[in-house]
Amino acid sequence: MAKPASLRKPKKKVNPLDKEKITYVDYKDTALLRKFISDRGKIRARRVTGVNAQQQRQIARAIKNAREMALLPYTAQNR
Amino acid sequence: MRHYEVMVILDSDLEERTVAPSLDQYLNVIRTSGGSVEKTDVWGRRRLAYEIDKKTEGIYAVIDLQAEPAAVAELDRQLRLNESVLRTKVLRPELH
Repeated sequence: MAKPASLRKPKKKVNPLDKEKITYVDYKDTALLRKFISDRGKIRARRVTGVNAQQQRQIARAIKNAREMALLPYTAQNR
Repeated sequence: MRHYEVMVILDSDLEERTVAPSLDQYLNVIRTSGGSVEKTDVWGRRRLAYEIDKKTEGIYAVIDLQAEPAAVAELDRQLRLNESVLRTKVLRPELH
């Protein structure tokens, strides 16, 4: 099961914010923000989420605001 | 005059129907200083993502208002003095 010789082309991701036409990332919208955190509560990397740099910063800030108000966890409880 | 968004987490031991009137009392600070309250939205009881002061539940409220910076700072200070207020957050949505 050797890897193919040619570099594997990564699948082009669709930008999830552009798709939903979201211009302002609201920290109160936990349903949206949950898409950008792992099950351990960590913020997902940009290479995983497929958003652009400006949007990633907006998302990170919104998640941190939401954490302060106990809308999202800092860490997952178990373990 | 600036647009602010204030979020408050209140102790879940409070009666939910008394929340809106008591919040309104605090908002007089804004009104007397020439600001206006655009919207008060009481979300109701919500589970906290983590414990705050040994509590697992809180009553959330979001207030939209137009006011001078000093008036909002005073509102925030008065809210924090109340022991049934677990947490507050003041935000200017336009900046984010």
